[in-house]
Amino acid sequence: MEQLGVIGAGTMGIGIVQVAAQQGLQVIMCEVDDARAHRALEGLRATLQRLVERGRLAPDEAAAALGRIRPTTRYADLAPVDAVIEAVPEDLELKRDVFRQVDAIVRPEALLASNTSSLSITALAAATRHPERFLGLHFFNPVPLMALVEIVRGQQTAEATIAAARQLVQRLGKTAVEVQDTPGFIVNRVARPFYNEALRLLGDGVATVETIDRVMKLGGGFRMGPFELMDLIGNDVNFAVTSQIFAGYFGDPKYRPSYLQQRLVQAGALGRKTKRGFYTYDD
Amino acid sequence: MTTDAGPVLVVGDPPLAEELAALLREAGRPLTYCPVAPARAGAELPEADALARAAQGAALALETTVWPFERKRALVAALDAALPPTAVLASLCAAQSTSEIASWTTRPQQVVGFSVVPPLSASQLVEVAPGLDTAEAAAAAVERLFAAAGRETARVRDDAGLVLARILCLIINEAAAMVMEGVASARDIDTALRLGANYPRGPLEWADLIGIDFVYAVLYGLQLEQGEDRYRPCPLLRKMVLAGRLGRKVGRGFFTYAQA
Repeated sequence: MEQLGVIGAGTMGIGIVQVAAQQGLQVIMCEVDDARAHRALEGLRATLQRLVERGRLAPDEAAAALGRIRPTTRYADLAPVDAVIEAVPEDLELKRDVFRQVDAIVRPEALLASNTSSLSITALAAATRHPERFLGLHFFNPVPLMALVEIVRGQQTAEATIAAARQLVQRLGKTAVEVQDTPGFIVNRVARPFYNEALRLLGDGVATVETIDRVMKLGGGFRMGPFELMDLIGNDVNFAVTSQIFAGYFGDPKYRPSYLQQRLVQAGALGRKTKRGFYTYDD
Repeated sequence: MTTDAGPVLVVGDPPLAEELAALLREAGRPLTYCPVAPARAGAELPEADALARAAQGAALALETTVWPFERKRALVAALDAALPPTAVLASLCAAQSTSEIASWTTRPQQVVGFSVVPPLSASQLVEVAPGLDTAEAAAAAVERLFAAAGRETARVRDDAGLVLARILCLIINEAAAMVMEGVASARDIDTALRLGANYPRGPLEWADLIGIDFVYAVLYGLQLEQGEDRYRPCPLLRKMVLAGRLGRKVGRGFFTYAQA
């Protein structure tokens, strides 16, 4: 595993590019136009520069990492890679279209992976001629700091694909866990009650936002309370994830979203990024 | 005799009751600890005589059993009969509301719900929940007791499970469901939540530490109180309770442990 293709250089994509390049992989970074590719690379250059200034990265290592990244706007340049990780926006048809094209270009033994957090891996794999080499590689934000990658096994993913993916994750310096293609995979599903039940307790009048956060931190040892965390993640993002998982399980009441959070989204109170959510932020 | 300095009686199962007794003893309260037999089928309550002796002169009793529910109800009723009429009865309301527990006694004004999730050593806060008819003085006395033992308190309404146990046991229920469905391993689920969500512990090792019987009781109690499928305990948890795989305290739960 020496050459990696990354499609989409948004927050997640560029994070994956950074980690791979720092770990010594050659990276072909695919964006839709030159302007976006340039912006993403400039952003990464600044990130690495900050690491150098803080003494967390040697200047020559930063230069070497940047030297391993080759930006492109043409899928044809992905032909030699050993694996492709797709990180374009969470839109089933958009992703299926990307994979339909890439499937025809890369070598038959190359891995095809999606970083989706909410779409079915099986549905994406079905857009390709070789669904057995397709899988999910779900990274966490911010990618350079979060050690976890969920390896998602689609309905038709081959054993050899999982084994190769484990090697890739290890090569990236991350810890792999494996999960079947189920809505929310592991983290987003198991963590749902942390947000959802906190919202329910609030809505039922059991305790206030401040009290619930305090109990979870001091009583449970969680680093952040549920409401602080929802404000950090963004209520729009958190509400969307809950809604997708609720739909993914065909309306199982365990995952039912909260209208309280929906009202915040409708009011534009998205959390820290709008300076208002469950709390207000003045900075 | 006042509730702030008078003798405290702690009644319940180890390890939680034992931990609570040790915590309060360190704070210098005169204290009697009355363990009850492990929560297996046919387990007996402490002998009525022993309980009556222990309860004599107590200003405040802490009752910490959770499961089985009939055993808790019988113990609370026995304590109510044995305690002086002025004594405060603080009961762990993990699976019932304080108001429900109070309805088993003749002293609803003196019954206060509280909740902690084992292990106590990892928790800096105790939730305190007065029932519908609880006197303010009784709730305040329980808060002062925990404050004197160096714990913060939070006042919340008395719905079953209060805040922490309710949220945490639902997280564990979801993790248990994934194990039951065979879609991820217990080890991977714990790793995922620690590394992917920064949890202080994986939910399943946490469940083993809390006790599978405790977790199951909270969920079952919530389901009874709320009447919703949302709180349905995962069948695997129920089987584990029936099979005695109660977690660390017996050496076996989602994981196995060398017996101490």
